[in-house]
Amino acid sequence: MELRKDSGPLKWVLILLCVVFLAVMLLLPLAYIVITALREGFGAYWAAITDPYARKAALLTLEATLWAVVINTLFGLCAAWSLTKFSFRGKKVLSTFIDLPVTVSPIIAGLIYVLTFGRQSPLYPLLEEAGVQIIFAVPGIVLATIFVTFPFISRELIPVLNAQGTDEEEAAALMGAGTFTIFRKVTLPHMKWALLYGVVLCTARAMGEFGAVSVLSGHLRGKTNTLPLYVELLYQGYDFTGAFAASSLLVIMAIIVLILRCWLERKGNKANDIR
Amino acid sequence: MAENTSYVELSHINKHFGDFQASKDINFSIPKGRLVALLGPSGSGKTTILRMIAGLEHPDSGEIRIDGRVVNQVPGSERGIGFVFQNYALFRYMTVYDNIAFGLRVKKAPKEEIDQRVRELLKLINCEGLEKRYPSQLSGGQRQRVAFARALAPRPQLLLLDEPFAAIDAKVRLELRTWLREMITQLNITSIFVTHDQDEAIEVADDIIVTNQGRVEQVGTPQALYRSPATAFVARFIGNSIPVKNYEKFRSFERGGRDTEAILRPEFISVYKKGERVQFQNSAEEGVVQDVIFRGSSLEIRVLIHGNLLSAIRSINDPAVEIGETVDVFIHRLFVLDGEKITLMDNRSLAGESVII
Amino acid sequence: MKTRTRNRRSVIPGFGLSFGIMIAILSLIVLIPLCSLVIYTAQLSPSAFWNTITRPRVLSSYWVSISTAFVASLINAAMGLILAWVLVRYEFPGKGFIDGIIELPFALPTAVAGIALTHLTTTNGWVGQFFYDHFGLRIAYTRLGITIALVFIGIPFVVRSVQPVLEKIDRQYEEAAMILGASRGETFRKVLFPEILPALISGFTLAFARSIGEYGSVVFIAGNTPYETEIAPLMIMAQLQEFDYASATSIALVMLFIAFIILSVNALLQSRVSKRVSGLA
Repeated sequence: MELRKDSGPLKWVLILLCVVFLAVMLLLPLAYIVITALREGFGAYWAAITDPYARKAALLTLEATLWAVVINTLFGLCAAWSLTKFSFRGKKVLSTFIDLPVTVSPIIAGLIYVLTFGRQSPLYPLLEEAGVQIIFAVPGIVLATIFVTFPFISRELIPVLNAQGTDEEEAAALMGAGTFTIFRKVTLPHMKWALLYGVVLCTARAMGEFGAVSVLSGHLRGKTNTLPLYVELLYQGYDFTGAFAASSLLVIMAIIVLILRCWLERKGNKANDIR
Repeated sequence: MAENTSYVELSHINKHFGDFQASKDINFSIPKGRLVALLGPSGSGKTTILRMIAGLEHPDSGEIRIDGRVVNQVPGSERGIGFVFQNYALFRYMTVYDNIAFGLRVKKAPKEEIDQRVRELLKLINCEGLEKRYPSQLSGGQRQRVAFARALAPRPQLLLLDEPFAAIDAKVRLELRTWLREMITQLNITSIFVTHDQDEAIEVADDIIVTNQGRVEQVGTPQALYRSPATAFVARFIGNSIPVKNYEKFRSFERGGRDTEAILRPEFISVYKKGERVQFQNSAEEGVVQDVIFRGSSLEIRVLIHGNLLSAIRSINDPAVEIGETVDVFIHRLFVLDGEKITLMDNRSLAGESVII
Repeated sequence: MKTRTRNRRSVIPGFGLSFGIMIAILSLIVLIPLCSLVIYTAQLSPSAFWNTITRPRVLSSYWVSISTAFVASLINAAMGLILAWVLVRYEFPGKGFIDGIIELPFALPTAVAGIALTHLTTTNGWVGQFFYDHFGLRIAYTRLGITIALVFIGIPFVVRSVQPVLEKIDRQYEEAAMILGASRGETFRKVLFPEILPALISGFTLAFARSIGEYGSVVFIAGNTPYETEIAPLMIMAQLQEFDYASATSIALVMLFIAFIILSVNALLQSRVSKRVSGLA
């Protein structure tokens, strides 16, 4: 460590540079949102966030998020189990398809759902007959939310299960344990923290998704507006206090996510040390 | 008669992984109650054989019988086996107690019976008081014993162990070998273990199955493999082997074929100080000592003879030899290899004498 | 044949169930929508496709997207490298906090970040006013503003790619280089930098690909002046709002193609670098 000591001045210059950069780029916008939201006093803030439309938007955001977490958890568990505990051909192709949604622009994600379920789609007459409306309605928002967060949970689980190997499952299977016993008693404890971590990331992205949801939403106030869309609506109506007040809810959510993330990361690292 | 006593029997087993043939026409049978080692270098297919017996892999062709029953289509969990994994595969998120109890719980055994069996095994493996610990809180040796107990809990008829000592440090390994041997003898359970360490196989096993490149080279007791290796591979692999090309230069040996070479072992060679009494003075060689290495209970002497650097063992009680000293060397016998064929060639001056190894 | 299929089976149970559920969900969410994109594309007439994507306004939107994303990603590569270095190599108070907030752009909804950045950088915003008064520089509603928004969303990519690699590098390499007489600068350039480079490139590429497709944080700050600050995703959005799906799809295909090229170039660079390191032909 002797060799490192002469880095004194450089060290502090670099640290200062980072602190200034992050303060301006990250903290300033955060602080600005809170300050602007409270600019017209707490009463106005409270009125803005308890506005019935704001509440409806928050509820819809929660609904879409819940769906995304449930579906992606189910998918993540199944994908992790079948991709890491078994060998079969085409794994690489499958992994590529699983990761695809995050490499696609959210607007394009929205577009492909419009093409799939919209008026010009071959599926449209069938949906029409069944009386199901997907695009410009809640199901479209839910689907788009699932899509943009699709690999978030499986991506956390797969490396953990890969590192763990298949010995414990084989040992349990040789003793005659069934699928659910092995899964619950042997595999699940290994990925507990990774699963929670993935759920947190998925929640964050699902609540904040804007582009894809924007394409698929009918932008109907109180019907198909999620919280981020509601923020946009207020902002474009020059109701800045309202927009920033609604934003502050999402800021609080982001901060909770960051804290949870740090905590889970630490827990996960500790769990890894067990090996 | 052998048919009836064999407990595990493999016939004409072939197994491919993609293009790689891991098992080539494997045939052997293991009598009930024996402790057998599958010995071979890494990649020789020994673990594949073990995993096929366990039902963790499935052969492409051939039959596996356990206790007279063809088990190819029987799931591993119904073959009556216990399996100890190389890294033990202890359930890391379960206590020692839960690990050992797992197999019985899965079989829905009554609670009291499970408790009784777990306590019994904890006592057997000398781990009483550790039942609340997690695998990460155990030493390597303890983990191995817990893995052993876990495999034994459902009272298997056949115990399979994959490199049981590989993950333990050298000192504990020696203790565990003896312990495992005693334990298996005491329980009288047919056991097969995989190892790449010949010392381990020789010391622990009743019988050794030597594998190489997917084939079984030889099956026999450790002494049999040592005394009469069936193939060149076994001769080279077992014991401390020194290859010699120009063995006909040694006195009292003649060439046994055109493209042959010989294998010498330290036990085949005696080194005498000049002036020490040599039994067959006429057929002794002169060699120059290159190195003397202290091996704890004996000395390893490296001698250069006809361009070959040979190793011999000399007792520390004998008069010391120095590096650079010219000594008399007597070679009792050697293995002559012709391709895969192998013959034992005695020093001619020993002809008529009784051979004692 | 029956034995064949049984032979393939692993002792671990539950493959059929988990594989089935995985494929079902994957099909519904990803594969079927993707197929419909392919089917719809096949119905486009080549001339209409070409006309759409060569409209001057569309072409300039590609250029705006690519150039701002590229500059933003370069800034992120430089700052990301420094941030990763500071976080791995130095101890200082508040390090844990900095490490934690790096991830903020992932956690904060893009639209929220967008409106906050816009308000801050207009000519009467806190930051914008300062730059306008002193340098005559407008940030919001210019390409500079777009770049700032893209820097914001791209921060975590490079840091999180480089950080683990830097953590794993054995200090002995540097010490060896220094004992052999290399200066600090030389040691960094010749010993450390080549080790970090693949991670830096992949972090840059991820940020670049993400920035090109970014919408939420950019629409507010961009001002969306045709030919000036219109980004490609906005062009798609505009076509969708006019229900002109053919044009929207055409523009989207080009964007997908660009993303594909970026990711392929990255894959190619990664394999070349790893070849050089491992010495394999």
